[in-house]
Amino acid sequence: MDALTNLIVKVGRSVGGVVGTLYQAGRDTVDTVIRNVIPFMAFISFIIGLILTTGIGDWIAKGLKGSASSLGGLLLISIVCAIPILSPLLGPGAVIAQIVGTLLGVEIGKGNIPAQYSLPALFAINPQVGCDFIPVGLALGEAEPETVEIGVPAVLFSRVITGPLSVVIAYFASFGLYSAAK
Amino acid sequence: MALSGLVVFAAGVTVDKPTGFLGALATAAEDFIKVFNKGGTVLLSLMGGILPTLIVLLTAVNALVRLIGPEKIENLGKAAARPGIQWYPVRYMILPFVSVFMLTNPMAYTMGRFLPERLKPAFYDSAVSFVHPILGIFPHANPGELFVYVGIATGIQQMGYGLGDLAVRYLLVGLVVIFIRGIVTEAITAKMMSRAEKAA
Repeated sequence: MDALTNLIVKVGRSVGGVVGTLYQAGRDTVDTVIRNVIPFMAFISFIIGLILTTGIGDWIAKGLKGSASSLGGLLLISIVCAIPILSPLLGPGAVIAQIVGTLLGVEIGKGNIPAQYSLPALFAINPQVGCDFIPVGLALGEAEPETVEIGVPAVLFSRVITGPLSVVIAYFASFGLYSAAK
Repeated sequence: MALSGLVVFAAGVTVDKPTGFLGALATAAEDFIKVFNKGGTVLLSLMGGILPTLIVLLTAVNALVRLIGPEKIENLGKAAARPGIQWYPVRYMILPFVSVFMLTNPMAYTMGRFLPERLKPAFYDSAVSFVHPILGIFPHANPGELFVYVGIATGIQQMGYGLGDLAVRYLLVGLVVIFIRGIVTEAITAKMMSRAEKAA
C-alpha cells in the first residue's frame, strides 16, 4: 500500500511540476509580449501607416531603391553602420535596425526592391548590433575592467571588417532565393 | 468619444467634397485620420497574423528551456575555453547558438564567464551578432527586437513567397558570420592586449 501511495505522490508531483512549468512559461510569454512586442508593433504600425498614406513613402523609396537593390549600395549602408563612432549610437534596442528593416520590408512588398535582396539587406542594416552594449555584455561575462577597456574598441574595429564582409557572404548566399519568381 | 469621430470622417465620403477654408480643414482632418486608420489596419494584421503563433511558440520553447534547465549548458562553456583550433567552431558557433537559444538576450552573454579574459570580447561579439539571425526560426530568443527580421519578412509575405527559405538562410549565414566575427575579434583583441602590455 505504501508503495502505491508513494507512486501516486511521485506521479502527482511530477505532473504538477510540468504543468506549473508550462503555466509559468505562458505567463512569462504573455508578459514579454505585452511589455516588448506589442508596444513595438504599435510604433511600427504608426510608421507604416505614415509611409503608406503620405508622400514620405515615395521619397524613401527613391532613396532606398538605388542603395538597397545593389550589392554596392548595401555595402555602403553596412560601412556607414559599422563606423566605430556611429555604431554605438545606432545600436540601442536595435531600434534603428528595426525601423530600417520595416521600411525595406514595405518597399520589398511593393516590388521596388527585389525579394532576393532581403537576405543581404538583413545583414547590411545590422553591423552595429550590440555595439552599444559591449561593456554591459562583457560585465555579464564577468570580464575584468582591463578586458572591457580593450574589448570595446576591439569589437568596434572588428565590425568595420566583418560588417561589410557579412553583406558579401549573405549576397552570395542569396543566389536562388526567391529568384524563380512567378 | 473618439470612435464617433471616426464615423463622422467615414460618412463624409457620400456628400459633395467640402470647399473653401472649412473644406481645406476637413480634407486635412481626413488625411490626418487616414494615417492612423491605415496604421490601425497594419496593427490588426500584425496582431492577428504573427502574434498568436508567436505566443504559442514562445510558451512552448520557454517551457522546454525550463524543463531542460539552463544550467545544463555550463559544461559546453567549459569545453569552449579549451585551446586549439578544433575548439574554434565550438566557441564561436555552437556555444553562441546554444547560449542564445537557452538563455536568450541578454543573459546569453553570461556564458562568457567560462572563457579566459582574452577570449571574452570575441565571444560577446559572436553571441550578440546571433540574437537577430536566430529570430526567423526561434523568435523566443529576442522577442523585443523581432522587427529586424519581421520588418523585412513582412515584405516577402506580401509578395506571396514563403518565409522558410529566408529564415533558414538567415540562420545559416548568421552562423558563418558569427564564426568569422569571433575569429577576427579574437585576433584584434590579442594584438591590442600585447600592445597594451608592452606600453605598461
